[in-house]
Amino acid sequence: MKSPRVQERRLLILALSALLLSGCASMDVQPWDRDLLAEEAMSFSPEPMVTAIDNHIYFSKEGSTGGQEVGGGGCGCN
Amino acid sequence: MQLGEPRRASSLRGRLTQAVCVVLAAQAGAAGASSAADVTGTASGSGTGDEAPKWQFDAAGLVYGEAGRAKVVEPNARITRLFANGARLSGTLGLDLVTGASPTGGIASTEIHTTTSASGRVKTDAVGIVPTNQFQDHRGSLDLEWTQPYTRWLTTSFGSHVSREKDYRSLGGSGKVSFSLMRGLLTFNVGGGYDSDEVEPTGGVRVPLSDGTLLEDGAVRAKHSRTALIGLSRVLSRRWMVGVDVTRMEEDGYLTEPYKVVSVVDPETGDPVSELTESRPSTRLRHDLLASSVYHFDTDILYASQRFYWDDWGIVSTTTDLKYRKDLYDDRYIEPHIRFYAQSKADFFHYSLVQNEDLPRYASADGRLGTLRTATLGATYGFRLPDRPGEWAVRAEYMSQWGSGHPTDAIGNQQNVDLAPPVSIGSVVVAYSLRF
Repeated sequence: MKSPRVQERRLLILALSALLLSGCASMDVQPWDRDLLAEEAMSFSPEPMVTAIDNHIYFSKEGSTGGQEVGGGGCGCN
Repeated sequence: MQLGEPRRASSLRGRLTQAVCVVLAAQAGAAGASSAADVTGTASGSGTGDEAPKWQFDAAGLVYGEAGRAKVVEPNARITRLFANGARLSGTLGLDLVTGASPTGGIASTEIHTTTSASGRVKTDAVGIVPTNQFQDHRGSLDLEWTQPYTRWLTTSFGSHVSREKDYRSLGGSGKVSFSLMRGLLTFNVGGGYDSDEVEPTGGVRVPLSDGTLLEDGAVRAKHSRTALIGLSRVLSRRWMVGVDVTRMEEDGYLTEPYKVVSVVDPETGDPVSELTESRPSTRLRHDLLASSVYHFDTDILYASQRFYWDDWGIVSTTTDLKYRKDLYDDRYIEPHIRFYAQSKADFFHYSLVQNEDLPRYASADGRLGTLRTATLGATYGFRLPDRPGEWAVRAEYMSQWGSGHPTDAIGNQQNVDLAPPVSIGSVVVAYSLRF
């Protein structure tokens, strides 16, 4: 375990999260300005099935996993 | 999704607001679980008219090939019932057909050599080639998911899955609750999942760090995983949405790869003289943080994400992922994709063990636990066929994976061999989506 690197990353994570929540708290988008946001492609994962296939490939070929989902199809490939 | 309380449109601004809400509600019925529709502040219900689709069919097929190694064909099909109140119930069937060769974990040599494998079989490996075993397997899976909005600010989602392959079975469930705050500009997600898996290695459960001829009692081993997730997504502007998700996964049980081996090498020449089964800890604690961004230009969209991962096996990794969706004409788009992944090795990763030295408690030569890099380059082309319903997407990608093949502690002839040669991987995905 690379503790110093992990600690640095955790601090970075906390800082980014705080920035996300506090620094942007004053930003506002009115309902009539949400046309672009309403597009289906305007999503973190606009193609869930393709994303699931990608995650399956990466899970079977790499030592890491994780992301936006919990659970999911188990696999003996790794 | 549903519209808010009808308001008297006494001004142009009011009428525009209502018009936008109608458009949003009409689109939201088929939107993905984390789609932008969730942050528009609208909820389900009255906005969906008689013409709103009630079903959605999705299919995606993967053809995957590693140069000289595994080949995979993976068709998937999903049917989703879209309810008028915004609820969705989906079922997904998947099938994996896998054939080809997989690295054993054994070390490549500068000479033709003969070793005794973990299964007790004597075999000969070629010069400079990573030893592999031929295999064939198929996997079937069923996933169910139910998403239910209760109010404009609360949505729950529950899922379950079951899958089965020749030597592995998995049963699991998950749940997620989403709170939409600040009129939909901030969404807070919390969730968890539990998987209960069983491993039934072909030929029995081999004793760790043995020559493979010794078997443990019992043919089946259990493996469990518990996952927790906390996430935030925030609309920063009319064009920009960002998110942060943190997951923690605890695993326990049989986490060993039952067919992988570790070479035992001569202390002088570094050439393999025998093989031992690998040995891994029976617990693993993983963490990851995913930061995501979606930015809408005038017509194009940029997707960017950065994932940080660390676990108590000693692996630390970063993943950078970028996609740029460029709208073309007639509902067509092209979406280039680039991804770079880098990981450090697990504490117990060894390319080989040295003959006559004390054995460590844990040892694995699985390249997926070693120092590893993956570069991915590809593109998706999305289109509609003239006068035919539904949307198509075809994606082709090339992956290159390589490790640290010349470690400083290489012994003898190992210094003349790339212990982790690059692997080239190609894949094509064809996806189709239809609402009716």
